Amino acid sequence: MSKNVRPGSLFVLLLMCLDLHTLVESAPICAHGHTGCHSPTLSDLFDRVIQHSARMHGLSSDLHSDFEQYFLPSRNQIGRINRKCHTAYILTPNGKENAQRLAREELTEVILKLLAAWRDPLSQFHRSMARHEDFTSISGNKALEMSDMVHQLKNGVEKVAEKMQLLGMISNSLMSLSSTEALAPHSASSEARSMSDYELLYCFRRDSNKVQNYLKILKCRIVAEHGC
Amino acid sequence: MEKGFARVWRKTGTRLTLLYLLLLLVGRMNGEAGVAPPGKPRLINCRSPEKETFTCWWEPGSSGGLPTSYTLFYRKENSDVVYECPDYITAGDNSCFFDKNHTSIWVNYNITVVAQNALGNASSDPMDVDVMNIVQPHHPENVTVTLMQGENLYLQVKWQPPRMADTRSGWITLTYELLVKREEDDEWEEYFAGLQKQYQLFSPHPGETYMVKVRCKPDHGYWSEWSATAYVDVPDYLPRERSVWMLLAVFSAFVFLIFMWVLALKKNRVKHCLLPPVPGPKIKGFDSCLLKMEKSEEIFNGLIGLGFRPPSDSGDLLVDYLEVSESIQSESRHSLSPNGKDQVKDSVADHSGGHLCDVPAILAEKCNKEMEAQGDVQTEESLETVGHLAGNDNHTPNPSAASSNQPCVQESPYHVPEESKQGLDPVTWDNDELSSYRGNAPVHGKSHFNSEYVTERWQGCLQVTKPTEYVEVQKVNQENTLILKPKAEEEMEDFLQLGLRGQDYSKVSELVNDHILLLERGSTTPNTYCGSLGSPVQQQPKQTLCQGPNGYVETFTVQSSSY
Repeated sequence: MSKNVRPGSLFVLLLMCLDLHTLVESAPICAHGHTGCHSPTLSDLFDRVIQHSARMHGLSSDLHSDFEQYFLPSRNQIGRINRKCHTAYILTPNGKENAQRLAREELTEVILKLLAAWRDPLSQFHRSMARHEDFTSISGNKALEMSDMVHQLKNGVEKVAEKMQLLGMISNSLMSLSSTEALAPHSASSEARSMSDYELLYCFRRDSNKVQNYLKILKCRIVAEHGC
Repeated sequence: MEKGFARVWRKTGTRLTLLYLLLLLVGRMNGEAGVAPPGKPRLINCRSPEKETFTCWWEPGSSGGLPTSYTLFYRKENSDVVYECPDYITAGDNSCFFDKNHTSIWVNYNITVVAQNALGNASSDPMDVDVMNIVQPHHPENVTVTLMQGENLYLQVKWQPPRMADTRSGWITLTYELLVKREEDDEWEEYFAGLQKQYQLFSPHPGETYMVKVRCKPDHGYWSEWSATAYVDVPDYLPRERSVWMLLAVFSAFVFLIFMWVLALKKNRVKHCLLPPVPGPKIKGFDSCLLKMEKSEEIFNGLIGLGFRPPSDSGDLLVDYLEVSESIQSESRHSLSPNGKDQVKDSVADHSGGHLCDVPAILAEKCNKEMEAQGDVQTEESLETVGHLAGNDNHTPNPSAASSNQPCVQESPYHVPEESKQGLDPVTWDNDELSSYRGNAPVHGKSHFNSEYVTERWQGCLQVTKPTEYVEVQKVNQENTLILKPKAEEEMEDFLQLGLRGQDYSKVSELVNDHILLLERGSTTPNTYCGSLGSPVQQQPKQTLCQGPNGYVETFTVQSSSY
């Protein structure tokens, strides 16, 4: 009996360690340095998150150009939106120096705020996409994928932040993650609801580019590597 | 005074205006553009080399013949404040340069160019620009190609990102692409280098010059221009390779020679394999061996079945078949199996066309076994027994003889080597036949044989490729048994006396007057000899004909016939 139990427990332990590798979605079991577990490095985490954000931005660009093709043939309207993006309340650095001037914590916070602000509008967008009959199903799938990605990316960045805090690279003065959503003014979400699909796409395309760029800056600042 | 002055001035002004208008008219008549408000300018594009500054270019419209000035105005997103271009000079003519302080990323710029001259102004269509979309970096710098010696020779291409692009901080991510060409090639080869700043090109062609150029692209933007081309000369390191090829060539030549040698050795087998001897046509019922027997009557006896008029003095002679079967190990009975007239006819008829020798299966099998056992099979053609002997109905046909109307087993070479010639029982012949065949001369007078054959039914032509394979009648014993033996090597002389030469073959062209054969020269297989039988032939060689297996007639000298 005892002989059977021991390999069984080892097996379970192995499984638990392997579970760590599905990083973004699940909480790391070995985050606190259990022996025998192999946790990915911060560099790996950053790479995954950056890849994820790149894919997200690619999707948003595709959708945006599709939308322009189908709904806005007139060149005069391209790029012109009548109102601000609903994320305008978030102060984001608009240049390299500004971004570099921001502290790591602040930069991380900006990223998380942006990602949090887009979760609801994107699901709203996906629902309205489903209603469009002349929009292709491929675009509909992209919209769904995009809204999932935002959620996944936010979780990933949170993991990165945790890891950074763990390693002492950023101070613990980072606001608690749940509060980032709470701080969003109520008007923002209502504003998002009143935006048209095209405006949503336009704003999201820009914001996803911001997120990708900020993540890259953060990575190269913290984990200087061959990619920088 | 002042009034006058004013009057003069007014007049001058009017005159000048008139003159001006006249000039305008003249100008128009001459085809030159006259003065007019400026044409609408057009914004071409805006580009940012490093995502920190950007430049916009425009195309002027018609100037209207007057000095025209261009002004660029822009508005930032969601703001109504109109700004003017901060720098018209840095980027050249008809351009506006936005420096770092005036550039904001992720902000939509609404840009317009206004052309203005004395007569009016014209405004271009507005253009919306977001710097994140218009990044086009400068080309990569310091592109170098060097020869590197690792395991083998290879080329290493290295470059630097453009100076202004800040990849170190992660602000821009650049991916690179190479174009490589040999100097004499027409087309460039593309290589994608990804994020790395160096690239290896393996196995360059020796003794040639390579040209390389590189360009880069940000992850969301435009490809840069191509860098300056870098050259490298690859030395001739071929000799080492060449020696390998030479070794290979020598080795394959060697293998080829061996193969050809083996082929030459086994030429005969190969030839038999690839070009099996074709059985030749045979005249119906025409027995070539009878020709050697100087019995012209018998020759034509064989043709009785075909309707030829038999010779007068061979009235009741019928062609019969003597089956020669061989039993090397054991002795067996042998008897002539005379066929009746009808049978003769049938047999003769059966011999039409091809090379029918009717060697019975048993004989063939025995021969095969013996040959395999002895292992000295040299012949490629089967041994056939040819001999049409006249016979009567006295002799009982052998039971095994009844079935032997097989075509000549040419594929099963029949070779009776000397050693195995003992122990054969003599052939039994009909006395009458023998006498007719030989004219009453005793057979045994010619004892050449040192072995005997078992014969059961003897039909067809005994063919040998070597002298040792000839079957000769050794003797006739009291029981009218014909004893045959294969011709030994030392008796080749006799054959030669007969004039059996390998090469002087002739072809029968026609039969004239029932007893004259017309011959024509022809070629034949060199190894075909017509078997002879009987000592009378040897003793009395005469010029006669011997028909080979493929219808060709062999000439040899035979002395005067004894009959």
